[in-house]
Amino acid sequence: MNDSPWVFILATLLGAPAMWALLPGRSSRGRMAGVALGSAAGGLLASQLHGVGDWVDSSLFAIFAAVTLVAAVATVTMRNPVYCAVWLALSLLGTAALLFLQGAQFLGVATVVVYAGAILVTFLFVLMLADPEGRAPYDRMSWEAALSATAGAVIVGILTMTITTVLAGPRKTAQDVALSNPDGAAQAIEEHDRALADGVLTERHVARFGSELFGRHLVAVQVAGVLLLVALIGTAAIVAGHETAPQETPPEDENEPVSSAARREA
Amino acid sequence: MLLLAVEAFVKIALVIAGLMGGTSYLVLLERRMAAWIQDRRGPNRVGIPLTKIRIFGLGQPIADGVKFIFKEEFTPGHVNRLLYFVAPVLLLSAALAVFAVVPFGSVLPPVLGGEPIELVIAPGVNVGMLYVFAVGGIAVYGVILGAWASNNKYAFYGGLRSAAQLISYEIPLGLGVLGVVLMTGSLQLDKIITQQAAHGWNVLVQPLGFFVFAVAALAESGRLPFDLSESEQELVGGYHTEYSGIKLMMFLVAEFLHMIVAAFLIVILFFGGWHLPWITGSEHMVSGWLGGWLEAFLRVGVLLAKVLAVILFFMVARWSWPRFRFDQLMVLAWKVMLPLGMVNLVVLAVLVEYGKQMADALGVGEVVLVAAVGWITLVVSWVVTAAIIPAPGQSQALPIGAADSIDAEPAQQREEIEP
Repeated sequence: MNDSPWVFILATLLGAPAMWALLPGRSSRGRMAGVALGSAAGGLLASQLHGVGDWVDSSLFAIFAAVTLVAAVATVTMRNPVYCAVWLALSLLGTAALLFLQGAQFLGVATVVVYAGAILVTFLFVLMLADPEGRAPYDRMSWEAALSATAGAVIVGILTMTITTVLAGPRKTAQDVALSNPDGAAQAIEEHDRALADGVLTERHVARFGSELFGRHLVAVQVAGVLLLVALIGTAAIVAGHETAPQETPPEDENEPVSSAARREA
Repeated sequence: MLLLAVEAFVKIALVIAGLMGGTSYLVLLERRMAAWIQDRRGPNRVGIPLTKIRIFGLGQPIADGVKFIFKEEFTPGHVNRLLYFVAPVLLLSAALAVFAVVPFGSVLPPVLGGEPIELVIAPGVNVGMLYVFAVGGIAVYGVILGAWASNNKYAFYGGLRSAAQLISYEIPLGLGVLGVVLMTGSLQLDKIITQQAAHGWNVLVQPLGFFVFAVAALAESGRLPFDLSESEQELVGGYHTEYSGIKLMMFLVAEFLHMIVAAFLIVILFFGGWHLPWITGSEHMVSGWLGGWLEAFLRVGVLLAKVLAVILFFMVARWSWPRFRFDQLMVLAWKVMLPLGMVNLVVLAVLVEYGKQMADALGVGEVVLVAAVGWITLVVSWVVTAAIIPAPGQSQALPIGAADSIDAEPAQQREEIEP
């Protein structure tokens, strides 16, 4: 239970080649090696988990976390894009369950409504109609296994370290207080719990979330809305362009009419 | 803790048993009703097995269930086996999971000195309404994966149509719910009922919102006139073409459950749930004769009777209108229901914010003002919609080839007919 950052770095260093070996297009023996390396990295990370008192809570957390992680790995390593989308949906469901465990009901439900219920269904819809080979150059670039594994490893490593330091904050203070002054420990933990109850566990948490979102972060919400509107107009422009001038379509783009029809329907 | 778990399991068992039994007999009711509307007799033979007693065909659901379970369950060789098995299970579990937050009454008086028993499986879910949407979103996967795994072009078309339809109609559905949430200030279904019991049913206060929500809910449940995803004349059976035996039954039951959920939501959001003026009380807690037990059961009865009435309306609707064409379906969602939902939401938002001041200025009650504005909005938007959107039978209903011969946006016409 040492909090040294080396464990995270080691786990990430193990995880990156594991992901690289697991990505589609490798031999099946390579994929087995990837699974082995990946499990080692996962075990290292799991050893860093803080012990949670209630065994029901902790075992539920372990199950949902494992489902989320395994599904996330499967999302990028499956060869069939439809399977990728289904695994991503499972991963999102696991995330929502984790949020529920923390008491963040709204975030959990919103994850499912927005990502699994709307965006991913549209993905699936287009995937079933579109060409799975991916002929555009930017598609192929994102398939460069070594690059994507490295980038993913760097992001995961940084996020894990940051999140564990931040999350350990209040708990650590409680423990520190407990070490220095045993009488104050109960009070510190109680304060921590009260802060949590005041934050996400209150009855009004959805209302507060809304007023925060449309009060303090109004500009961000508006900017995101404008961005989506621009994307929508762009799509409409592309579709309209295809329809008025079909001869301008490049010959290698022959699958475009199908997917644009799908987009229109969606 | 243990008592809570027992209570939850008892409620789950009751709800699932009630739903399954209810579904099978509602199917019989639907068949008898279809026969009545079409001037036939319908299934009236099956009675008690091994005797000659016919009890108005009440044995029919048992015979149907046995048939579904014992028929050969054929798996075609060309399907994707894993997803082919997962799809019906996913669809049925999602359809059942919705009922975790749907109340089927208000509350039972305390038993053995304990707490009063809430008549909903998961009481106190802050985001009940959103949960219904989330689980409904999962149900789309069952349809689309089943269609894709079947590896059959008819099933695939059915799945695509269904996905497009469900995604499109989720927007007016959400707009209809938002109006209710705006009035109540809560996403919790039992709070929505209590608010209506105190301030009048939402169907009287915001009729336009009810109209939008009811049409969208009917479309989400995928029944005639919105059953394009399985239109038998074009697509054999749509997304469950390749299914047979108990898997087919799971699909059909899930579809029926969607209709029951829609009926429950319409009653809870717009018709006051368990509330009946002057007969059931209007507080959440029960009181009165027999320590409140009479009122508690009365409320369950009232709620279920209202739900049954909505289901009967759905069944009559099914045999009264022909199926939409796909372009008409999309026009209805995006060009009619979406703007109407927006209008309703904006009007309600203004009323919630300034209704009290306006009512004071005019010297009428706030509820009266809101209801009056709601009905005026309904009439005005109805007239405007009728003026803008051409009625079916005019330019919309031209045969596909004839669209080329007129000038009115031929490209537009072609594009809206599905590939």
